[in-house]
Amino acid sequence: MFERLDAVKPALQKLIAALRERYAYASVLATAERFRSWKVSKNGISLSASGLDGGDGYVIRVFDETGCAEYSINAFSEEMIPEIVKEMETRFAAERAALPEGISPMPTAIPDDSPAVLKKEAKYEIDPMELGDEAILALIGRIREKGLKADGILDIFCGVNYSAERKIFLSENRDLDESHMWTNAYVGAMGARGEELKNSYRGYSVLGGAELLREVENDVDHVTGALNDLLRSEPMIPGEYECVCDPDVTGMIVHEAFGHGVEMDMFVKDRAQAKQFIGEYVASPLVTMHDGSAVDECATWAFDDEGTLTGDTVIIDKGVLRRGMCDALSAMRLGVKPTGNGRRESYERKAYTRMTNTYFEGGDAAKEEMIASIPYGFLLEEPTSGMEDPKNWGIQCMVNIAREIKDGKLTGRVFSPIVLTGYVPDLLKSVSMMGGKVQLAGGGYCGKGYKEWVKVSDGGAYMKARIRLG
Amino acid sequence: MERIKRLLAEAGISDYIVYGYTERTAELFFVKKQLDTRRIKDVEKFVVTVFRTDEQDGKKLRAATDVTVLAAMTDAELLDAFKGAYFAAQFAMNPYYELPDPVQAPTVEAHGRLTEQAPEQSAGEMAAALFKADCEPGAFLNSAEVFVIQKHAHVISSRGADVSWVEAEVNGEYVVQAKEPEDVEMYRDFAYTELNTDALSAQAKEALSFVRDRARAQKILKSGNYDVILTDENVMMTLWFYGERTAANMIYPGYSTWKIGDDVQGETTGERITLTMRALAPYSREGIPMRDRALLENGVMRSTHGSNRFCRYLGAEPTGDYRKYSCDNPGTMSFAEMQKRPCLWAVTFSGFEMDSFSGHFGGEIRLAYLIEDGKMTPVTGGSINGSILEAQKDLVFSTDRYAEIGYDGPYAILLKNVAVAGTDGEA
Repeated sequence: MFERLDAVKPALQKLIAALRERYAYASVLATAERFRSWKVSKNGISLSASGLDGGDGYVIRVFDETGCAEYSINAFSEEMIPEIVKEMETRFAAERAALPEGISPMPTAIPDDSPAVLKKEAKYEIDPMELGDEAILALIGRIREKGLKADGILDIFCGVNYSAERKIFLSENRDLDESHMWTNAYVGAMGARGEELKNSYRGYSVLGGAELLREVENDVDHVTGALNDLLRSEPMIPGEYECVCDPDVTGMIVHEAFGHGVEMDMFVKDRAQAKQFIGEYVASPLVTMHDGSAVDECATWAFDDEGTLTGDTVIIDKGVLRRGMCDALSAMRLGVKPTGNGRRESYERKAYTRMTNTYFEGGDAAKEEMIASIPYGFLLEEPTSGMEDPKNWGIQCMVNIAREIKDGKLTGRVFSPIVLTGYVPDLLKSVSMMGGKVQLAGGGYCGKGYKEWVKVSDGGAYMKARIRLG
Repeated sequence: MERIKRLLAEAGISDYIVYGYTERTAELFFVKKQLDTRRIKDVEKFVVTVFRTDEQDGKKLRAATDVTVLAAMTDAELLDAFKGAYFAAQFAMNPYYELPDPVQAPTVEAHGRLTEQAPEQSAGEMAAALFKADCEPGAFLNSAEVFVIQKHAHVISSRGADVSWVEAEVNGEYVVQAKEPEDVEMYRDFAYTELNTDALSAQAKEALSFVRDRARAQKILKSGNYDVILTDENVMMTLWFYGERTAANMIYPGYSTWKIGDDVQGETTGERITLTMRALAPYSREGIPMRDRALLENGVMRSTHGSNRFCRYLGAEPTGDYRKYSCDNPGTMSFAEMQKRPCLWAVTFSGFEMDSFSGHFGGEIRLAYLIEDGKMTPVTGGSINGSILEAQKDLVFSTDRYAEIGYDGPYAILLKNVAVAGTDGEA
């Protein structure tokens, strides 16, 4: 896959050698990507091969007396090496010279560059490009037609996104090479209640190819049913309630409410309350949280964008916060081992500590048992968005559907939209039942604040907790 | 561009639009008063959209597929990309539309130091403006990021369009922190098309003042309905609802039922909204000349807007996609007057959301001022969950103004009777 990178690799090694004559450290991350999206809706059929910003390019990292400096480019050849080296020298010097008075370099040791060699190929059953545009558009067209037959439908939108990517990380001692493929699909239904539009949405993801589409075809009834529930929904009565979270909502709580707070670049900035809670109970003993590449999902890579090998990081172990996840620079600053979480939106952007596949381990309770145990509360479904607050562990998560539970049974009443608020440890300590089947969803992208979008997955099982809803 | 044109012809593609650009950046990342990382970037890309026509049951059809290519690609790679996109397009047929009317014009140059001086110099000056504000007692800059972007854009089309322009932007974000009595922080972002160091210093000074108040804010907000004041970027996001609902790609599929001439605000007892779409660049990515256009006048929809295809479908003049609007209401109450009435001034949220489909807006409150009996009490926690479709019936705009890259208009908006989930019962 992407043989072009094989051709350019010897020249990249020469670039590193040339940079090492001037800098204490030099590395290059080279990326190549093929992307395609197919979508059908009332707006018609769309097909794009452009993807997000980024794509094919190179990020060159060096360490000089001012610390870490990077140059992102998307044209490279052996002949360009002297020009690149000169450009870096000149412009890094200009950047240094223009710094405001009173600013000093942040002391940072050079990241570990012990020898490592790796080559890993993408695993998939069916390459979407081999299945072909015609077959994929026909499939999502069929799904849409089926959904449009349901009552109360303004539109059914259905789409598939696919990315095949290869990354090569080279430094003096590292030669890491991996290719990767993920496929996502989604089905949504839209309806109107006067001027107010409601929509229900379901996503699907796989670390692999078009084999994912087998499970999508028969699922459109779920979103049309949920849309009809939403069209008769009521506004939420604010309060704190016993709730059952479906695996997607559990995943959003894992990711937004807690995950961002244990990204250790936030520890460097003193922006995360979690730093003070290492070794302490922050959650119910039913809660064990992981991040990393122990599962196969869209964010599973064998090395990160700084050349650190990945693994399975246990963040919370039976309620006790054990550690955070960490990029290479933050690890050097904090004196800890990096966990392979240094990720970039693309070669055009800086690496930050980012989550990969983040989830709660399963327990042994059944969803029905959880509902039966609640005198009055809600079953929460369809997370829509969330925002992190590492400093103060405040929760802001939005959910589309809250189904009323009374005397241990679903009443059929539906409330929407719902804002989840409160203090993260209060919510996590209130977890009283954890379901058995863990499900991860990798259909979305995660931002750092309001930018830096990277592919992630998150999830867990059905989970019972006490949550403030508004 | 010439090579791309030649290879498109070689691939047998007669209809196309090419949007090419180069981007040169300087980027600085700070943790407190230390430099974390510095970066530079030089990239050149071409987004090539190829069109294909067909006919079915006597109806003309049009399909488009876009692919991003690089100057570094070989002729063979480019040909492969174009042929692949053109082949794929046959499966994505939609009702026919004409490509944008062609415009040929000399390069539109941008002026000012942000365009003319080295981006490294501009990044340093904006960083200095930010740190200049960092002298307030009880609060400080925790971290900051500054990005200076210089861009040259060029659009050509098979119909003969050939336009180019230069643009520059400085943007970034920062976090301010206060440690006493509670250790808290607040996030702000900024974006300017000029080297607006004074505006950034003033914004940072205000943010430092807010975070000091957040540190002493109490969780005493009770659930109920409040008159709510939103300010600065939250006003912008609330009013963006009208930008979304008037967009051609919302109207064409029937997601929005609004049409030109509709009174979209309905019966009101408060102010009638007047909005203008503002052009930030001389042309769109499809080569459509962009100019300022009236969007709403006293609550009545005056135009639709968007990409060539959806405007053509509606029989409207293609406008290009806008990133900025102004609210031209002069306002009927000063911000100081607004603060004299009992209400909740919601300053910042964890993330303010405006759902253009449902009309719901809200978020978790990071800092608000509860105004009762002329007394302002900083509060934190709880959330707002309102509907613009209800709130638009009785709006009050401030006479005070606010401007940023995507908005120019009243600094504050007063929304009546909005549902607020308080912190009653929270520890």
